[in-house]
Amino acid sequence: MGSFNLYSRGDRIFGVANAFLVTLIVISTLYPFIYIIAVSFSAGSAVTSGQVTIHPVDLTIAAYKRVLSEKLFWTSYRNTFIYTIFGTIATLLIIIPGAYALSRPQLLGRRFWNFFIAFTLWFHAGMIPFFLNMRDLGLLDSYFGIIIGFAGNAFSIIILRNFFESVPRSYEEAARMDGANDFQVLWKVYIPLSKAAIATVTLFAIVSRWNGFFWAMVLLRSEEKIPLQVYLRKTIVALVADEEFASSLLEEVYSFETVSAAIMVVSIIPVLLVYPFIQKYFNKGILLGGVKE
Amino acid sequence: MSAVTLRKVFKRFGPVEVVHGIDLSINAREFVVLVGPSGCGKSTTLRMVAGLEEVSDGTIEIGGRVVNEVAPKDRDVAMVFQNYALYPHLNVAENIAFGLRLRRIKKDIITASVNDVAATLGLSELLHRRPADLSGGQRQRVAMGRAIVRQPQVFLFDEPLSNLDAKLRTQMRAEIKRLHRRLDATSIYVTHDQVEAMTLADRIVVMSDGNIEQIGTPMELFLNPINTFVAGFLGSPPMNQLEATVSYADGGPIAKVGSDIAIPLPELRQLRNAEGHPIIVGIRPEDTAVERNGAANAAGIKCDLDLVEPLGSEALVHVSVADHPVVLKTETRGAISHLSDVQEFFVQPDHIKVFDQKTGLALDHPEVA
Repeated sequence: MGSFNLYSRGDRIFGVANAFLVTLIVISTLYPFIYIIAVSFSAGSAVTSGQVTIHPVDLTIAAYKRVLSEKLFWTSYRNTFIYTIFGTIATLLIIIPGAYALSRPQLLGRRFWNFFIAFTLWFHAGMIPFFLNMRDLGLLDSYFGIIIGFAGNAFSIIILRNFFESVPRSYEEAARMDGANDFQVLWKVYIPLSKAAIATVTLFAIVSRWNGFFWAMVLLRSEEKIPLQVYLRKTIVALVADEEFASSLLEEVYSFETVSAAIMVVSIIPVLLVYPFIQKYFNKGILLGGVKE
Repeated sequence: MSAVTLRKVFKRFGPVEVVHGIDLSINAREFVVLVGPSGCGKSTTLRMVAGLEEVSDGTIEIGGRVVNEVAPKDRDVAMVFQNYALYPHLNVAENIAFGLRLRRIKKDIITASVNDVAATLGLSELLHRRPADLSGGQRQRVAMGRAIVRQPQVFLFDEPLSNLDAKLRTQMRAEIKRLHRRLDATSIYVTHDQVEAMTLADRIVVMSDGNIEQIGTPMELFLNPINTFVAGFLGSPPMNQLEATVSYADGGPIAKVGSDIAIPLPELRQLRNAEGHPIIVGIRPEDTAVERNGAANAAGIKCDLDLVEPLGSEALVHVSVADHPVVLKTETRGAISHLSDVQEFFVQPDHIKVFDQKTGLALDHPEVA
């Protein structure tokens, strides 16, 4: 028997090309992250003169000291938590029942409603009408406006609807025979069976809330309601004009690059902490074994 | 335990009518099997009784109450699904208890009922396992446990054994029969497997194309099929059916198959003065013999041997009679060599069924005649 190769030449080239591309993507996403951490721990002068590439230069925590001593930083941090937690809850409260209803064949006008939801993925009224709408609803400059105004998400509804549709109908029927009403079918059967999909859309919601910047900037007026991302921008703008900051530049302890980097690092930490807990639900294995096709 | 009555029940999906006004009354404690080929409307009928499909027209009564507009959970019926539909996130005990919990029954009563049912079904050791860790037969038992624990008025089975392998199926079939004897509950069982139907049923309902063909005990249906469909559906292998015309010889009716084969027919009133009438001759494989064996009145029918399938104690002999395929079933008694020169087989005229070729109906069936 001669040597036998399972893969053709083309397969191997394809494999190598894949590995190369994946490596490229990993580097391009990971590097900015490493760079920001390096900058946040470096001296301002080192950053300004372009010495920082991958590790901190003239290691210092001055930037962090400056960030953590700001009262508004802590206020905005708290606000971001409020928007993220309650916003995510609001999102789940809307999209789970919504997606479930849209996934049921017995829903009257199901095609119309599905089209209606999908339509908003591609076409929406635009910024100004949305702003005017929020204004007329009295939702400007309010926690509630930010939380409820962005709770619905067509994309997540569609993801979840597709998942619900893939759950065999006999689960619903068995639960109905067992005495469950619509709400109990959803709560006791479909939600536990759909943990993976729900974890996915929850993570989407958390990340988009946490990073929410534009609308928070547009809709919020009072400083004590702004989230972290708006505070970050505010700081960068303010630092440039800040006299005390200008003098600190002379001391070359921190620059506005290192301060912004420090804010970014601090703001990423909670998301990094949450991810592993959600990630464990990212297995579809939960559906195995209950029905036999 | 409740009786179930269907009166002129129709089911339409949009413009397509799949059940054409069936009437069926099932007595309390009876085990009724709906059997028929796929797409015959048997599952749809069962699902209408369950309340999972709306009734388009007609009424369904359970225990004397019309349930057309009653939700499944309020009909006091339980169903075992073909794919089991066990909740994968719950263990065996929780799966069985699910229905009781929804009904807010006290915890200690639930525990007692679950243990009771688990003991009945031999699941006591498995109560803390998830469905994924069970074998097919065990899952099937859990699915039955979930139905039994609620002590419903009516059990519905939707092809519960079709996902099991042949050996397990035989075993579970016997278990279902034992269980029914013990619980004594009204049961409606849907299957396309005629062996399951024959072995389990008090009465069989044969369906095709959304109609009921015949209702009766397994032996009634086997011995007196009302038409060629029922004749061909029950029995394994099914009844041989040969197209023929009526003729007469030696003062008795015969069936002429092809140009030179004559099969003596039973002396039926309907066969008098019917010269040339097109009929179908039905011969059960079991009613044939390859040797005369002293049966003086058995008619010999010439045939050409095609092939022999030995099954151990029995053998199936495939032959052709005037180019019509015919299967004979014969005991081997340990030898099959004598089967390789079969040129003739024997059948008693009394065992032959005669059907009208045009309508497919049995000539001598009391409901037809």
